[in-house]
Amino acid sequence: MAKIIIDSQEIECRDGVTALQAAIEAGWDVPHYCYHPGLSVVASCRLCLMEMKMPHPQTKEMGWAPKLLPSCQTPAREGMEIRFNTEKVKKNQENCMEFFLLNHPLDCPVCDQAGECHLQDYSYKFGKAESRMVDQKLKNPKKDIGPRTLLYSDRCVMCTRCVRFTQEVSGTHELSIVNRGSRVEIDVFPGLPLDNPLQGNVVDICPVGCLLDKDFLFQRRVWELKRGESVCPGCARGCSISIDHVDEKVYRLKPRFNPKVNDWWMCDEGRFGYEYIHDKKRISSPLVRRGLEQTTPNWEDVPAVLRYRFEQFVKAQGGAKVVAVLSPFMANEEAWLLAKFIRDVAPEASLAIGPVPYEGDDQIFPAKASGDGIKFTILKEKAPNRKGIESLLESLGGSTLTCEQFVEKAGAGEFMAAWVVGGYPKPWVDKDTAKLAGKFDLLVAQDIFENEFTTKADIVLPACAWAEREGSFTNADGLSQPFHWAIVPPDGARRDGQYLFEIAGETGLFSAARVREMMAASVPNLSQVYESQRKPAHAH
Amino acid sequence: MSWKAIDRNQPVIEKDAAPVLSEAVREKIRSFFPRYETKRAVLLPALHIVQNTLGYISWQAMAEIAEILEIHPADVMNTTSFYTHFWTHPKGEKVVTVCRSISCEAMGGAKMLDTIKKELGIDEHGTTKDGRYSLVTEECLAGCDHAPCLLINEKMHKCVKAEDIPTLLADVDNNKLSMPRSDLFDPPSEKQAASATMQDSVVGTTSDVSEMREAE
Repeated sequence: MAKIIIDSQEIECRDGVTALQAAIEAGWDVPHYCYHPGLSVVASCRLCLMEMKMPHPQTKEMGWAPKLLPSCQTPAREGMEIRFNTEKVKKNQENCMEFFLLNHPLDCPVCDQAGECHLQDYSYKFGKAESRMVDQKLKNPKKDIGPRTLLYSDRCVMCTRCVRFTQEVSGTHELSIVNRGSRVEIDVFPGLPLDNPLQGNVVDICPVGCLLDKDFLFQRRVWELKRGESVCPGCARGCSISIDHVDEKVYRLKPRFNPKVNDWWMCDEGRFGYEYIHDKKRISSPLVRRGLEQTTPNWEDVPAVLRYRFEQFVKAQGGAKVVAVLSPFMANEEAWLLAKFIRDVAPEASLAIGPVPYEGDDQIFPAKASGDGIKFTILKEKAPNRKGIESLLESLGGSTLTCEQFVEKAGAGEFMAAWVVGGYPKPWVDKDTAKLAGKFDLLVAQDIFENEFTTKADIVLPACAWAEREGSFTNADGLSQPFHWAIVPPDGARRDGQYLFEIAGETGLFSAARVREMMAASVPNLSQVYESQRKPAHAH
Repeated sequence: MSWKAIDRNQPVIEKDAAPVLSEAVREKIRSFFPRYETKRAVLLPALHIVQNTLGYISWQAMAEIAEILEIHPADVMNTTSFYTHFWTHPKGEKVVTVCRSISCEAMGGAKMLDTIKKELGIDEHGTTKDGRYSLVTEECLAGCDHAPCLLINEKMHKCVKAEDIPTLLADVDNNKLSMPRSDLFDPPSEKQAASATMQDSVVGTTSDVSEMREAE
């Protein structure tokens, strides 16, 4: 911890950070465009200039240096004294803002970034009300630079964050700077569009509305969006994300800073993998089948119906013939509640983990990087909570099965009652598993889409997408992270956590934190969760 | 049509086009590799070689340079577009570069430029139909004491008068025009004048690329 003085206030900062980062972390809103903590420093926007005390070259006496210095490029050192609250610094910020706005179009009313635009914020906070520009504005063209991204170069402030991102993080080099001076633009080589698995991040790090996401283009004004804090279920890495939603519809996912997992980034697969939430084909109400008769029970009756059916079964055929298949898409809390219910009605019941989907290979960025050079990883394991379910099964003990063991034993007819949880965004029942669906006397299927199990089940329970649920996922490194619901489930459905809570014999409202407290005795390693600190709004 | 976006997904290079860089050019580029730590560092020499051979650097040439240097074509485009020296489209045999800075402007640069435009029948950044001349303007050619001046290829012509232009352009060897100092410039001292038999020898040579080369 180094002590530095900013605007005559002494603050403590982390070691090895720049003066700008130290100031931002200590609460100073220092304007900056080109500086991003995840990228190299270029000091080109000149907005973050500060005054610093330096020894006089001859007399060695400490005094304010006559020139302004870029705070993003100056390391914070013990005893350093800097200031941002002087006329000189403010004048520089004003003048820089005037330059940034020289050719900037006044199209905020139709710009997607408006509301979260740092050009807007900074002109309001640090800029001038009027421009002295009398000449015609230079108008750079709008460009379609990739399958998911547009580049409106007339709005660009040439911070080059996006270019550095493709060079340093994704390592794909698609973006480059063309021309120079006032004609400078960001561009791709024609025919080699911006198309890599991390490209969505360039839209996030663009401080203005130059890089635009085609998926979100003209969908919503950002100030209408509500932000839910969540964890990406796309792969076993568990990136921290925020779910931007309004009117119970998810509009976009954005990464949240999490130094332990994803830093500032997320992949496109996770970013655009939310569409299944709004699929019309989702199961949205519980269903009970008695022979050919189908009824939709009231949610209030569901716990009693399930308990009665399972108790009757155990009485008739014994508890060892009962199995619960816990999906790697379930939260730890939900899985624990279901396990609690099953072991309640049949202490000798088996618990199994559902199939874990794998796709291709792990992808690292930049490709060929190793050690600390790796900036981002996409795992081939496409389920968020295999580790959590496995560790839950281990802690609970008793008869626990891997997915293969379950398929084998169920195929041999060892189980006659099963509770099978799905919740996978993609079809997950393969040919071998599908054969099992008809083998049970009592089958409860909890799933998000129709499949072989839900069509043959005696009782169908709708599963919710992760954006509608609450709980925690344990990622591939064993880190448990909480996620919170952002939107409500579709009409007729209830949150998995809520009905499992009631089925497990509890009353009242489900709260993941409360369940974690209840879990502490039996599953101590899953009861602790890690949540990354929120970044202040002025850090971007 | 202000909302129309340029489509950058469409390739500009034909898929099965024959390579534009000959094996000799490629070998010349590769011969620079031992001089630098990385292959990327050979980018500028490579661009010079390609421009000297082909006259300009086409999209396909950029992609081929990128392939030789093992970098992304966008990085080659980046550097090529930064320097106005590099042409991304065909240029004439002779490139006439006219200074448009303040000294030349004061000494009749605009008239000189207009005469050239009229003579060649092209505008700035244009190339004549027969492909013999291209006309560009530059900010300053660093020959203010010989204003107005212009470059034809790499040869500097100083104190150019509008009436000299036809001779200058027609001159195949590009070396016929004498280069007197501007009248406004302080005359050489008597001692210098005595030692100099020809007026040319007192003319500074600092801004003339070809003369600098000869000195080497």
